[in-house]
Amino acid sequence: MSLDYVKFSNGFEKFMPKEYRDMVEHGPFGKKVTVSQMGSFKEVLEEHPMCAGCAMTLFIRLAMIAFPNPEDTITVGTAGCGRLAISQAAIPFVYGNYGDQNGVASGLSRGLRLRFGDKPKDVVVMAGDGGTADIGLQQVLHSWFRKERFTTIMLDNEVYGNTGGQESGMTNRGAVLKMAPLGKKFEKMNMVELAKVAGCAYVATVVPNNPRRVESVIKKAVLVAREIGPSYIQAYTSCNIEYAIPTDKVMEDAKAVENDRYQFQEYITDEAKQYLTERYGYKEFLAKSAAPAASIPGKG
Amino acid sequence: MYLVADINVEICAAKNCKLCTQYCPEANTILYSDELGKDKGFKYGSAYVAVDRCKGCAQCVWVCDNMAKNHAIKMVMIDQLPQAALTENITYGEKSTTAVLTSPVVG
Repeated sequence: MSLDYVKFSNGFEKFMPKEYRDMVEHGPFGKKVTVSQMGSFKEVLEEHPMCAGCAMTLFIRLAMIAFPNPEDTITVGTAGCGRLAISQAAIPFVYGNYGDQNGVASGLSRGLRLRFGDKPKDVVVMAGDGGTADIGLQQVLHSWFRKERFTTIMLDNEVYGNTGGQESGMTNRGAVLKMAPLGKKFEKMNMVELAKVAGCAYVATVVPNNPRRVESVIKKAVLVAREIGPSYIQAYTSCNIEYAIPTDKVMEDAKAVENDRYQFQEYITDEAKQYLTERYGYKEFLAKSAAPAASIPGKG
Repeated sequence: MYLVADINVEICAAKNCKLCTQYCPEANTILYSDELGKDKGFKYGSAYVAVDRCKGCAQCVWVCDNMAKNHAIKMVMIDQLPQAALTENITYGEKSTTAVLTSPVVG
C-alpha cells in the first residue's frame, strides 16, 4: 500500500498488459492530478461491467481522481452496483458483508494508524443507499458516534438497483418502482442531519453534474478525516435502469434533481475549517472565519 | 453493429472546452490530444474517443450540445468510421496523449 506496490518486479514489465504499464508510468500515483487534466493521464479506474451512461460510474471516476493520495488510499464497499466499478481500480478494495462496511473501515483505519503512525493512509467507504441508510445504518451511525476518522460516501440512487427495484430508505415519498408498485409511503431519510447530529466534522451533498465540485468536496472530506473526525458525502447517482432515464438525459435528470432535492450543501466544523486552512492552505474559509476568529482569545 | 461517439476534430480543436472528457462515465474513453487539430492549423488540440471502451450512452453528445453548445459529437455506427482510436494504439505523454488511428472493425 504505497507507490511501490504497483511497480513491476524487474524483468516482468514486458509481460504486463498495456493498461497496467500505462497506469504505472502515466497514472496519478505520486502526482497531483485534477479534473481539468482528465483525458491526458491514465486513470486508476479500469473498464468495468456497470451500465452504459450510469451516473454512479461517473461519480466513482471523479472520486478516484479527487483522492488526495490515491497510492495511500483503501476503499471499502458492500453489496450494491458501485462495487462493480470500485473493485476495478488500482486502489485496494475491501468488500464487506452487506452493511458492515463502516465496521470494517473502523478497524482498518485504526490498524493503519497503529502500523503507519502519522503517515496518512486514507480509508474511504463507498456504499449505496441500501448499504448506508438501511442495512448498514447501525454501523454507519456508530462509527460516527465513535468519531472514527474515515470518509463515508453514499452513492444514492434512491432504489435497490441490483435486485430489481425495491424502495430504500432514501427513495422519495410516492415513488413507484417495479418492486414498490403502490408507491413509497414514507419520506426520504434525512441522512445529512443524522450525520451532523452524530458528530461528523464535514458533511456535503453533491450531484455529479459539477465535476469540479465533486473533486473539491471529496478532497476536503478525505483530508478532514485524516485528523479531525468522520466525514460524510451524500451523492445523487441516478439509476437509469430502475428510473427509466434515457442514458443521454442522465445529466438533465441530475440537474432537475439537484434543483428539486439535492441542492449543494456543505457543513464543516470550525475545527475542520481551521485544520484545512492551516495545514493545507485552503483560503475559502478565511473570509468567513475572519470575524469570529478575531473574538476568540489567543487568536489573530 | 453498434453506436459509438465520434468527435468532429475541426469543431473541437476550435473550441477546446474539454467538458466531454469530464462527463464521460467511462475512464480513459474520451481522451485529449494536443496534436490532433494542430496538423489542420488549429491553435488547440482535440478530444477523441477510444472506441473499444465506448459503451454508446451518448452522455457526451448531450454535454457537447447543451452545456458546451458546440455540437461536435455525433453517435455513429462503428463500421461507418473508417478510422478510429483504439486503446492499444494510444500513447500517454506528459500532458497529452497521441493515438495512431486505425480501422476499428476487423476483417
